[in-house]
Formats: sequence, structure tokens, C-alpha cells
Amino acid sequence: MASANDSKWQKDAADQNFDYMFKLLIIGNSSVGKTSFLFRYADDSFTSAFVSTVGIDFKVKTVFRQDKRVKLQIWDTAGQERYRTITTAYYRGAMGFILMYDVTNEESFNAVQDWCTQIKTYSWDNAQVVLVGNKCDLEDERVVSTERGKQLADQLGLEFFETSAKENINVKAVFERLVDIICDKMSESLDSDPTLVSSQAKGTRLTENPNPQASGCQC
Amino acid sequence: MAADDDGDVFEITDFTTASEWERFISRVEEILHEWKLISCLCKGPAIKGAYANGVWEEKTEELSFADFKFSLIHIWLKAKDEKREKSAEKESGDDEENDDREVTPTVYGDLMDMENDFPSRAHCLCRWYGLQDFVILTPANNSDAVLGESKIKLLLSSVNIALTDAGCCVPMFVQAHQKWRRLYQGTCVLPSANIEFGMVQLKRTPPQYNHLAGLLDVFKAKMGSVADPRPPVSVAVRFLYELCDWVNSPWSQPLPDFDDEVGCKGFDQLPFGACEDPVCSLSLYCTWPCLSEDMIVENHVYSDLDPLQAPHWSVRIQMTEDPLCLLGEYLSTFLALCHRKETLEQLLSGFGTEMREDSTGDISNALQRLTEPTVGYNLHVPTLTSYVSQPQKPTRKSKDAPIQGELLDQILQFLFPDSVKPSDNSSTETEENTSTVQQPSHPVKELPKQLKSAPVNGLLHKLAVCLCVLNQNNGGFMAVVQIWQEFILEMRYRWEHNYLIEGIEPGPPNLGSCLLQQKLQMLNCCIEHKRKRETLHKGYTGVPESPPSSPYRGPSTSQLSRSLSHNEAENVDQSDALNPIAENDQASGSQSESVAENSNQTNDSKTKKGPGSQKIGSSGESSDEEFFECNDSDGDQLGEKDEDTSERNQTEESMLEGAEDTENQSGDENEAEIDENQSETEMECEPVNISQTGSLAGSMTGSEIQEMVGTDARHSISNTSVLSDSAYKDSFSHKPEGRLALFQDLKLINCDERMYIPVTQEPAPMTEDMLEEHAEVLAKLGTSAEGAELRARMQSACLLSDMESFKAANPGCVLEDFVRWYSPRDWIEETIQDENGVKTEGHLSQRMQIPGNMWVEVWQTARPVPARKQKRLFDDTKEAEKVLHFLSSLNLSDIVVHLMPMLIHAALLKAMDNDDPSINVLKQVIEQACLKASQVTRSPQQDAKRYEELIRIIMQAEIIIARNLSLRSKFTTDLLEREDAQQELEHFVVTILQNSEVPVRGGPMGPAGSVISKLFQSAQRASYMILDEEESDERMDDDEESRLNSSVPNFPRPLAREYILRTFVPRPAPYSKQLPQRMFCSIEEDDFRIAGAFTSDSVFQ
Repeated sequence: MASANDSKWQKDAADQNFDYMFKLLIIGNSSVGKTSFLFRYADDSFTSAFVSTVGIDFKVKTVFRQDKRVKLQIWDTAGQERYRTITTAYYRGAMGFILMYDVTNEESFNAVQDWCTQIKTYSWDNAQVVLVGNKCDLEDERVVSTERGKQLADQLGLEFFETSAKENINVKAVFERLVDIICDKMSESLDSDPTLVSSQAKGTRLTENPNPQASGCQC
Repeated sequence: MAADDDGDVFEITDFTTASEWERFISRVEEILHEWKLISCLCKGPAIKGAYANGVWEEKTEELSFADFKFSLIHIWLKAKDEKREKSAEKESGDDEENDDREVTPTVYGDLMDMENDFPSRAHCLCRWYGLQDFVILTPANNSDAVLGESKIKLLLSSVNIALTDAGCCVPMFVQAHQKWRRLYQGTCVLPSANIEFGMVQLKRTPPQYNHLAGLLDVFKAKMGSVADPRPPVSVAVRFLYELCDWVNSPWSQPLPDFDDEVGCKGFDQLPFGACEDPVCSLSLYCTWPCLSEDMIVENHVYSDLDPLQAPHWSVRIQMTEDPLCLLGEYLSTFLALCHRKETLEQLLSGFGTEMREDSTGDISNALQRLTEPTVGYNLHVPTLTSYVSQPQKPTRKSKDAPIQGELLDQILQFLFPDSVKPSDNSSTETEENTSTVQQPSHPVKELPKQLKSAPVNGLLHKLAVCLCVLNQNNGGFMAVVQIWQEFILEMRYRWEHNYLIEGIEPGPPNLGSCLLQQKLQMLNCCIEHKRKRETLHKGYTGVPESPPSSPYRGPSTSQLSRSLSHNEAENVDQSDALNPIAENDQASGSQSESVAENSNQTNDSKTKKGPGSQKIGSSGESSDEEFFECNDSDGDQLGEKDEDTSERNQTEESMLEGAEDTENQSGDENEAEIDENQSETEMECEPVNISQTGSLAGSMTGSEIQEMVGTDARHSISNTSVLSDSAYKDSFSHKPEGRLALFQDLKLINCDERMYIPVTQEPAPMTEDMLEEHAEVLAKLGTSAEGAELRARMQSACLLSDMESFKAANPGCVLEDFVRWYSPRDWIEETIQDENGVKTEGHLSQRMQIPGNMWVEVWQTARPVPARKQKRLFDDTKEAEKVLHFLSSLNLSDIVVHLMPMLIHAALLKAMDNDDPSINVLKQVIEQACLKASQVTRSPQQDAKRYEELIRIIMQAEIIIARNLSLRSKFTTDLLEREDAQQELEHFVVTILQNSEVPVRGGPMGPAGSVISKLFQSAQRASYMILDEEESDERMDDDEESRLNSSVPNFPRPLAREYILRTFVPRPAPYSKQLPQRMFCSIEEDDFRIAGAFTSDSVFQ
């Protein structure tokens, strides 16, 4: 499986330092803390204010999972309504989504359903999604209870976490869980269809294509 | 061998002096030891059906006798532990001689076991002797043969010695004569007995042994026993009847009728089904499993063995191998084009002369025209429009082009139905046909979402199917190349003349569809964008790019609305929304023309059909007239449209514009008069329309009005004349420009103006390859802060454009205003209570206040420029050229691969149309095909090899479907006597399709059995009509004697008869032990075989 995917997920010749590459996307309303969340994970830093993201941005982080180096290319998106068309174009390439709302902002929570629909519309069926309620450190300002978050996640069939980028709560857990789900799904589909392995081995194309999962894991 | 000096040498010498024969025997023994066949492990008889369905294992060793090479093959049925236990139980219960003996050797049980007579699939020795474990000695070389009795005897005795020495209880056979004769002699050495396996094989059946009675004589004579009373011989019989003539249902796959010109049947459909009957013949096995010799009589004059009386029936269907299946054939042939490496130019040069008669020179001219369109080339579509009206027009193609004249016209009509102007009855019919085709003709089958193709019945679907069919039927790859060339030319024509491409999903490229589809969507976006642009700038450029005569016009506003980003309102139908308002607003002069025009725009197909049905018989008119007529009809539909008012209004509007274009002033009163200037008139109408709706938009505060309509909203607000508005002003005055609508009820912070949503530019649509490129560029910048900064800057164009638009629409605004509209969460409002009471105060969020951040920076550089005067975010010209270049740079193999997704999609739909849910195998195959299809089409690397695999799966489905159809037509319910048995028959058909040999439930009495009898009966009747008297007489001599009275026997002569005779008899002497004896006999047309296994006591002889 690994060898089959090696060539598939290589970004370019110079950057072969990983076994898999997963492309993840963080989406959600504007100023729910997507950029902070990503900086906390990738750089372990926190600033109370990042410049509002224009278009899309990304960070890279390599993690180990079962002796395999997994390179995560995490795309951070602008949450403003106006950027929907631009960002949704990138959905199709993503293998995993972190759908984020702000526990101190009702509106961002109410928009979750919408975002979910967007994922369904613009991504491949098998993209994995984790629902994340951010800013859980601000208990005083909380307007969305954990239970409501959980309930919604169940209803949408998503995994759920409450996090705080500021206090570094659950940030790593979210990414680890998402990687796990993707890996599971990937090996599942490889098991069910052994021909995939051989056919994938043929692919020598460098990744960075908009459909990595289309080409590869089918998870 | 020369001995040197050592003492050891003598021992070796002793060994080597052994003869070849001895060495051979010891080798056999050695192998038996190796295989661990020496211990007499006893297995019970196999469970029922195990021979056919169980797993057989095989081991081979090479050995030689002198220089003659043999292989020793051990074949045995792999027994599952569970099975063994079960059968062991059975053995202890059943076997009578079990008491006499401690263990029954496997071979005894096998010989006498009744459960596994006539296995449907097994080694011949297994079938003849019922053995589950045996060894064969056979010449290693296929052409070698052991000939001559003495040689066979020699081998047999060698084997005997080896078996005895090794103490092996497994029977061993020596293959004699040529292999195809399957002649074996064998032996088995048991502790107190041995078995002799003998065989006779003849080409012709001796008449005295052609029946059970004769065979019983042989069997008894062979036993030579005089034991009294002799136990009866048990007999198992199986007759095989074959049915080849399916009288009731001859195979009738309708071949696609390529000559049918009406409705373009030739090239709009993929064919489906098998060309030949996929079901070849039916074999009926009638079995009498266990009879006593006393119970049954079969001799040369009489037979009890009537198939209709047989207790057990089973059926096997012989399928035609690789029947020619149309769909698979078409697909593979098309895909095979992938192997052509020539470029399109090379292939096209094969035409020799040019494709189009109206252009000069060879085809390279046509290619040149791709880059510099000429007037001559522009003639193309007008010609196209007159195809139907002038069918007798001489062909425009050179003689070398594979598709000429009428057929080409039809194809183009089929692909681009909108470019044809129907002019008479017959063509109207065609038009209707095509439009019905356009509607999804089958219930939308949910193909997996992942299948990257194009909408069913869209242009690309049609193109793919059409090219595939043409490739097969109309000139191979040259036809494909030719039509592709036409296709490219048409695309370019449409781009240059602002015709939208029909049959392409509207909106920005759908990344869920295939690349080709995305490219065409992109091209459509470009065309739409260009039209919009040119309409707006018409007054300024002074060169109206009048949309040429066409039965349709205008980008549908509903289509545009889909690309609107900030307008959350899913704008319903533009005309619906406007109509009532237009009526209310008398001052702005609603006119039916413009409203009708709007509705006209929203529904292309309606407009297209409208004129089609009205214009019967008037062939020479330009389509503009249709346009107006259509307006009338549409206006009527909308109702409440006062013709006078509308005309007056139009006049007024036109007069306003008159300064610009005087020609129009007189031209608008009467439709009949406008003939000449129609295109201009039409053009003029548009700004008028927009200004009106714009004013409407102005009067509807904060309502959700589309960008398109509101483009010129400023007209009504500034209350200026249409003329001054449409004139292009180059000013950055503080006069608000490019307002779309009021934004809620917000007011600007620094002045008392209300805030307006500006008209904004849409971000450029992207196809997946562009997106990929773009993402790669962004990713290359790395993850450093500088990289991120640069990335943001690269993407700031859209932000800048929006800010500029906002500034233009809201003079005096500040960043805070912009943020309130654009990113409301960055505007923080706080309620402050002071001595004056409660008031709300707002400020920018912390992140917007970061000094020097992107937003502030861009805001500072932004000038108040309305969207339409800004630098284009979307360069339609460049993008369109890119698409067109992409299309024309594809070579044949690329074209094929790019069209494959649509073709596969169409093929899958075809297969699903013919799906039969009751057949599991088929369901599996189709599911597999769908899964595979989604993988293959989604793969970024479109690989012809993977498509080949996919096509193979689809072919498999096609064959199964064809077989199913064939079987169903053969086993029709018409033949049933009782209605309620229908289900049973269906079940039978389904099982027979999925299994090799199927027992007939209820035998001849069951519903399936009765149908089979009838099939045989009718086949018999049919054959007897042509048979002469003599032959039928001969037939009746046989076992069909009982049918003497009826004119025709129900069943033909059995093709093969098999008998198994078994008994326990003391051999060789009357005082010997009772031992199992068995004789198998098979009688076929030209093969007569008796295989006997006779056991004799080796102690009491």
C-alpha cells in the first residue's frame, strides 16, 4: 500500500520526504479562528489577531502514523461570503475538512449546515469531515453549548471536537483524528479493491493536482 | 562405469547394474513415499455434489523409463475436515460390509457411492469410477503414446510392484494410446484384494451392447460368478438430450438501422445487444439414479427409459463463446483509435483536398482559419442554417472526406440543433425529435456522483456517441477527425459570433465533470462575458458587434445569477420578478417587448421552439423576425400586455437613443418594416431594457436584484437620460457609479448617505487544470510568512476590485463601511451607556486594525472605479483562445481519451436500461463497472489501458444481458400451463444463467420441466417436417418406441447415454469375499466406452 502510494503523493522530486500526502481544508465563517487554529497546529504559536485571510493560504506539517510519514498540506480559507466561489473550487482536491464554528458566535454555528452542504456539493463523496467548535476557552462568552455541537455533529454524521487555539486545547487531536479517519478509509477501499493498488502504482504524476483523492486513495 | 580403486565403488556398481525397469519402479515408489500415499488412510465417500463443487488438487512429478519420459500425477479431492467427519458418519451407517472389515478402503466407498454419480464437472476417471483420489502415469510428452499391449502390461506390472512395495492403497492408472482417447488401464492393491480397472473404447457402438440389457450381459459375464443367489445389479442411468433449434424464439437482435435518416437514428444512439444468439444450445440430462436391474427394461425393441419419467432432470446451457456484442465492439473500436500517434494535421492532410468547398486550398487552410478567421469561413453557419431548406444542395465536402453532404448536415444538426432554422414540416419534426432527445429520455439513473463526465444528452454526450458510431460505420478515424474538425470550427465560430454553445451546463466550469466539459463551460463563460461586455460598451466602441441572425439570443439571466456570489437570493425567474413591477411602474414605461425579451432570455429552448413551430413554410426569413414574433407570443403568455402601449413605449425609448443611431427611429413601429435593421434594433433594445429594469431596481429599496439587471442602476438614480448613460464616460467624479442595490438600511459612517452594494466583478472561472496550476503556484511560495504575504497579494486582485467598486458606488465611504458590508464580523458594535442614554458605537476588529495589513493597504490603493471600468478580472478573450487552442491541439488519441468519460457514461446508462434486478451476477458486474468508471474517469491520468479494462467489464454485462434476454425469450411464460408457476420459471432462468448445471425443480413435472418438454416437442415437430420417412423410422426403432402412436416423438434420440452398473459379488471364486464391482458405460454418437472396475479377493482365490 505504501509503495503504491509513494509515487502518488509525491509533491515533487525535491520533496520526497514522506510516504503520503493529505490535503486538508479548514472552512467556516469568517473570524471563527481558522488561521489561528492552523498556526497553533503548524507553528505552535498564537497571536490574538491574524490578518483576515485573503483567498486561500496554506501550511505544511508532517506527522507520523504507523511508521509512515504523512505530509499534511493544510489549506486555510477566507470565510467571507464573497470568497465562497474561490474557495469552493479547492474543495474537490481535499481529502479532509475541518469545519469550524465559533462557540461564542451563534451565526457561525448556524452556518455549519450550509458549509456541510457546500462540502457535499463541491467535494468528492468520500472526503472526511470533522466538526470543530473553536474558542472554547471563552466560557463567559459562550453561546453554543457543547451539547448542541455534539448533537449537530451526530445529526450530520461528523466527528466533533471543541478546541481552543489560544489555550491549545484539542488542536492536535483534531488533526490526528482526521488523519486517522482518512487512513482508515483509505486502507478500507484498498482492501476492498486490490486492483487499485496496482493501478495506482502506475501513476507517476506529481501531486498537487486538484483531485489527489480521486487519483489515489478512493477513500 | 569404470571402477577406480575404492571399495565403495562396488556397492555403487551393484546399484547401477539394476535394469531400467527396476529403476523405474523404485522411482515410482519413491514418489509415492514423497507424496505420503503409503499409509492406507481411508476417507469416506464424498458428500453429495462435492465432486462438482469441491476443490480438486493435483501434484505432478516427472520420471522416466529408459529414455521415455512419464509424469506421475496425483489427483485428489481436497476434503474439508468438516466434510470428512460427516461422510465418516454416513459411512459407518451405510456400508454393509463395514461389519466385516475394520476399515473400508476409500476406493470401495467411491466405487459404490451413489451420491456422486454423474458429476457435472470432474476428471474423467472420477466420472467413470467415482474415485476421489487416484494417481495417473502418463507420457510426459503430449505427442507420446504408450502403444502396444506388452508395453502397457509392462507398465501396469511395474506400477503393481511399486504399489505393493509401498503399501499404497490409492488406485493408479496408466494412460495408453493417444491422449485424446483417454484410455486408461489401472490397478489398485488393497490388503486382501486387488482391483483391476479395465477399459474399452470404440468408435462405433456394437448393436448388441447398445442398450442396458446388453451391458448387463457384459457385466455379468465379466464377473463370471456363479454365486447363488446372485445379488441384483443396481443401475444408474443418465440420458442426455440436446436442443439446438429454438423454434419458438429465433434470435432477433434488431440490427441498428443506419440508413434511417429521420431522427438521426444512425448516430445518436449507442447500439446494444448481441448480434448472434448468445445462447447456443440446451443440454437436458435425465437421470435415473438408482434402479434395480429387475425394475427396468431396455433392450433393442423396448425401453422403459422415457425421459418424461426420469425422476431427476438437470439442464446445462451452452453459451456462444464471445458473441459479437455491439456496444462492446463499438467502444473497443473507438478506443483503439488511441493507438494512432499521428497528429491531427497529419491525419487531415490525408484528405488531400479541403473539407469545405466554400474555402479554397487544402485543409491546412481550415487550420489557418482557426487562427485568423476570414469572411469565407463565416459563411459556415448560415450554410448550416439552410441545410434543411435546401437538402439538395451540392455537397460542400471534397470527395475524400468520409462524411459528405446530407449525412454531414444531419450530424451537425444533431450536434448543434440550435443552429438549424427549421423551415418546413419535416424539419420541424426533426427539431421536435431532437428536443425530445434533449430531455432526459430515461429516468435519471443515479450514477455515482464521482463519475466525471458531462450531462446526459448534452453536446459532449452527443459528440462522443456520434463519433463512436461514425468511427464504426462511416469511415473510421477519418470520419472522427473530420467531425472533430467541424466541431472545433463551430466552437470558434460561436466564440467569434457570440453564440452560446448549446447543450453545455451553464455556469462556471463544474469541476465534477470531465475536462472537456469544463473547457466548453469555460468557453461559454467567455462568450457570455464577452456579450455582456460588448453590450455595455457598445455605445462607446461605436462598432456594434451585432449578434448575427440567430433563433436565440442573450445570456439567460437566470444562468448569470448562478454565478453571483454575494447575492444570496436565488433569483427566481427574472421576468417573473420584473413583470408585475413593470406593470405598476407606468412612468418608466414598461414595455412588453423588453419584458418579453427578458423572458426570452431566460429560456432559450422555449424561444427556439417557438419560432420553429410558427415559421412553418416561410423559409427565407431571417431569424430576427422570429425573435419578434416570439416576443409577441411570449408577451401574450405574460398577459396584460397592451400592444399599443408597448409599441409606443418602444418608440419613446428608441427616440431617446435616436441621437445615437437614427436608423432605428423609424424601424421599430412595425415588425414587418424592420427587416433590414433588425440586428441593430435588437441591440438597441438591450440598453433600454436594462435602464428600465435598472430604474426599477432603484425603486425597490434593498431588494435583491441581480447584478445583471442592476448594472445600470445608476441611470434612474441620477435621473439622466438613457443616452447620456449609455455614453461611456471617462470620469472618476464623485458621482456614485455601479450601484447594485441598497445594503440593508445602513448609512455611511462619515456622511448621511445610504450604503449601496456595488456591482462587482466576478472572480474568473477556472477549469481544473487552471486551478491545479494556480494552486501549484501558490504552494510553491512556501509556508514562510513572506510566502503567505505574497500569496495574499496575488489573490488581492479580487479584493481590490471589490473595494474600488464599493468606493465608486458609495462616495465618501471609509474602510469601516466596506468592512460592514464585506466582512461584517470585523465590525464590532458595542452598546455604550453614557449620560445621554444608550447608544451603539462600532469599531473595526482588532485584526483589521493591525497597521499595514492587507486590507488597509489595498483600501488605500483602491480608487473609486465602477466594476465595468476596471481592469478585467476575467480576460474572456485570452481564456477563450486558450480553450480553442486546447481543443485544436489535441491529437486523435487525446480526443478519444477525452471523450471516453461520456461514452462510458452512455454505455453504462445503456447497460442499466437493460438491467434485470433479479440477476445478481449482472448487478455485481454493473456495480463493478460503475465503480471502476468512477475511478477511471476521476483519475488525473486518463489512461487508455484502464478504459480497456472498463470496457471489458461493460462487455461482460452486455453479454449477460443478452443471454438473459435470449433465455427469457426462450423460456417464455406463454409456454406455461399455470399462471402461478411464473415465478418458478423466472427463478429457473435466473439460476440457469448463473450456474453451469442446474437441476430442474420438480423434474419433468415441474413448471420449468414442462416448458423444456414443450421446447423439445416443438423442435421435434419442426425437424420432422423436413426429415424423410426412412430416418424417422430408424428413430422409432430406438428408445422412442413408446411414442409409436403419436406421429412425432417428444424427444429426439439421446445424444449420449451413460450407465453405471454396480453390485457386490464374490470374486474370483464363489467362496471369495463379496467385493464391490462396478462398470461404467457411455454411449455416444461416435464413442462407445466401457470402464470396469472389478475387485478380486487376493486371499481366497
